Amino acid sequence: MAEQIIFYILAAVIATFSIMAVSTKRIIRSATFLLFVLLSVAGLYLILGYQYLMAVQIAVYAGGIMVLFIFAILLTHKPGESAPSKPIAKRLLIALLSVGGLAFCTHIIVHNVSKVYSYSLGTTGSDIKYIGLTMMGTDKYQYLLAFEAISMLILACIIGGIMVARKRK
Amino acid sequence: MNYSQPLELSHVTAWLDEVLRGAMPEFWALLIEYVLIGVVLLTLYAVLALILIYAERKITAFFQSRLGPNRVGKWGIVQSVADMVKILIKEIIYVKKVDKVLFYVAPFFMIVASMLTFGAIPFGQGLQVVDFNIGVFYVLAVSSLGIIGVLLAGWSSNNKYSMVGAMRSGAQFVSYELSAGLALMTMVVLSGTMQLSEIVESQRYCWNLFNGHISAVIAFVIYLISGHAETNRGPFDLPEAESELIAGYHTEYSGLQFGFFYLAEYLNMFIIAAIATTVFLGGWMPIQVKGWDTFNQIMWYIPSYLWFFAKAAVLVFISLWVRWSFPRLRIDQLLNLEWKYLLPINLVNIFVMVLLVLSGLTLTGLFPNVFGN
Amino acid sequence: MSGNYFSGLFKGVKSLLVGMGETWKELWTKKVTAEYPENRKTTLFVSDRWRATLTMPHDENNEHACTSCKVCETNCPNGTIQVIQKVIETEEGKKKKVLDRYLYDLGMCTFCNLCVLTCPSDAIVFSKDFENATFTRDRLKEQLNKEGSKLREKKKEVKPEAEKSAPEAE
Repeated sequence: MAEQIIFYILAAVIATFSIMAVSTKRIIRSATFLLFVLLSVAGLYLILGYQYLMAVQIAVYAGGIMVLFIFAILLTHKPGESAPSKPIAKRLLIALLSVGGLAFCTHIIVHNVSKVYSYSLGTTGSDIKYIGLTMMGTDKYQYLLAFEAISMLILACIIGGIMVARKRK
Repeated sequence: MNYSQPLELSHVTAWLDEVLRGAMPEFWALLIEYVLIGVVLLTLYAVLALILIYAERKITAFFQSRLGPNRVGKWGIVQSVADMVKILIKEIIYVKKVDKVLFYVAPFFMIVASMLTFGAIPFGQGLQVVDFNIGVFYVLAVSSLGIIGVLLAGWSSNNKYSMVGAMRSGAQFVSYELSAGLALMTMVVLSGTMQLSEIVESQRYCWNLFNGHISAVIAFVIYLISGHAETNRGPFDLPEAESELIAGYHTEYSGLQFGFFYLAEYLNMFIIAAIATTVFLGGWMPIQVKGWDTFNQIMWYIPSYLWFFAKAAVLVFISLWVRWSFPRLRIDQLLNLEWKYLLPINLVNIFVMVLLVLSGLTLTGLFPNVFGN
Repeated sequence: MSGNYFSGLFKGVKSLLVGMGETWKELWTKKVTAEYPENRKTTLFVSDRWRATLTMPHDENNEHACTSCKVCETNCPNGTIQVIQKVIETEEGKKKKVLDRYLYDLGMCTFCNLCVLTCPSDAIVFSKDFENATFTRDRLKEQLNKEGSKLREKKKEVKPEAEKSAPEAE
């Protein structure tokens, strides 16, 4: 029962802030509302018991991507500036497109919900040890390669950062 | 080996749980317990902040050969309470041209981020609110929320000083979080788990700091430096450098909203110390030596939360010591320190730690009879 | 290059530790804070040159040295001092002007010391009592000569000679 209540609260928060994120005229507010949505999704993961996924969601979105977004907005916009409103024809087109997208997504979810459910039953748990072994394993459904690729990417970023920092000499 | 622990708070919590579960259905018992935990955490949060502010002012004064607060109460003990009352009844001023929503939301980000981290800290035996099996990662993840509060505060204030302060703070936080994370990961390699309670348990006879000797000491120092930088305190206080930026990102805030930033700053200092205590210094675990049962019993008589707070207090003191020893860094020096020194050292260090653990050169690996669990 | 990197690193660490050692010593030095209202009677030090407020010293016979010559009043740049005279009759039946009230307004005073410098009979001095705050401006106006005080007789200045001759008489 408690989980149900929390789920409905989170769902309401996600719905409200999603709408607010696309309807507000100030881009930084939009980014903030998006952050609320992402945090609520992290809450959903927590209800499901996927603590690792929750932490990743918070670390990657809140700590990484949102900081990047806000930085970009801080560097490119003036405070107090609002986005100009679009002409009605354009707005209608956008509305149509989003309703179409919603219908498409709903169709996919409704038709595949039983499948998704059986997938989630298939995993043996979100224990950090299990995730770690899967990440480093080379068997079927294990992710060593992806992990290596990501670490290479990060290494490249770090080397790039050092190069930029050393350039002055 | 079971030792008697007469002063442990976990007796009280266990008794309370039993009484509540006996008196009402499980749902309501849990609800009441959750509310109680929330209230206790909030109270602890506020009280700790008061103590920290008092300690900071007193120790700062001693470092500058002054006496510090000494008028309100004996040795000025009630000073920070008086300051709190003042800040509570102060007017909250809304500047006309701020972005109202974000201006109002930003302080909450700071406070919520440090509250979330606060919940995961093991204060004593059985005194931990959430014990995720990804504890260390969780702490790193939620503490990164605070920076968004700083950025939003700087932006929404519509003030160039706030803006520059927020940008500096963002650059600083994002870079130093990397070092802090890698230093903690080094220790995760050593203890083989991310769960904070298990990390504490694994340090029963040998603190991680000594267990991983060279590598662990380097990781400890790096964690203290980067943690100190994350809290925006001197010598890394250039986001709020008074001489150039007034007060940085919280220039426009007043009253309780400023109080939130202030509180979060102090509590972040404590949280950094607490995580360092848990991961490096054995957390709430009393000092024990294998085989010395009488000695161990005496150590267990001191309740675990006292051990925890004493260790954390030492680290807080070191943080203050550093703060009042060194001049403020320039932004390029700050980024140099992180990207040219801490991070490369950290990367080498994590590799060295892996080698140490794999080849069994840790203290527990070398002397399992003395230090092994 | 790499040598520079590591020597720089170790030098930096060493200098930071030296700095922390300095502050550690500072932590245990004697605290210099003067706790003001409590140390009034003990360690409070006010320099002799300090000009806090104008006073007129009286001796044990309630006598002062002011001849009411008004030199201080004329020398005062901003009218802080007001000397009010009265006429009395001496024992010999002569009329003589003496000091009636010596009024001093602390609020107007710039503490330039001209009055003390020019006083021919050294009747006034600046004291070191610096706690002069009052609640109303009127309280800053004071009368310096005490009630019923009078001019010190001239003969007292020859007193030292009398004392010298006294032992010889014995």
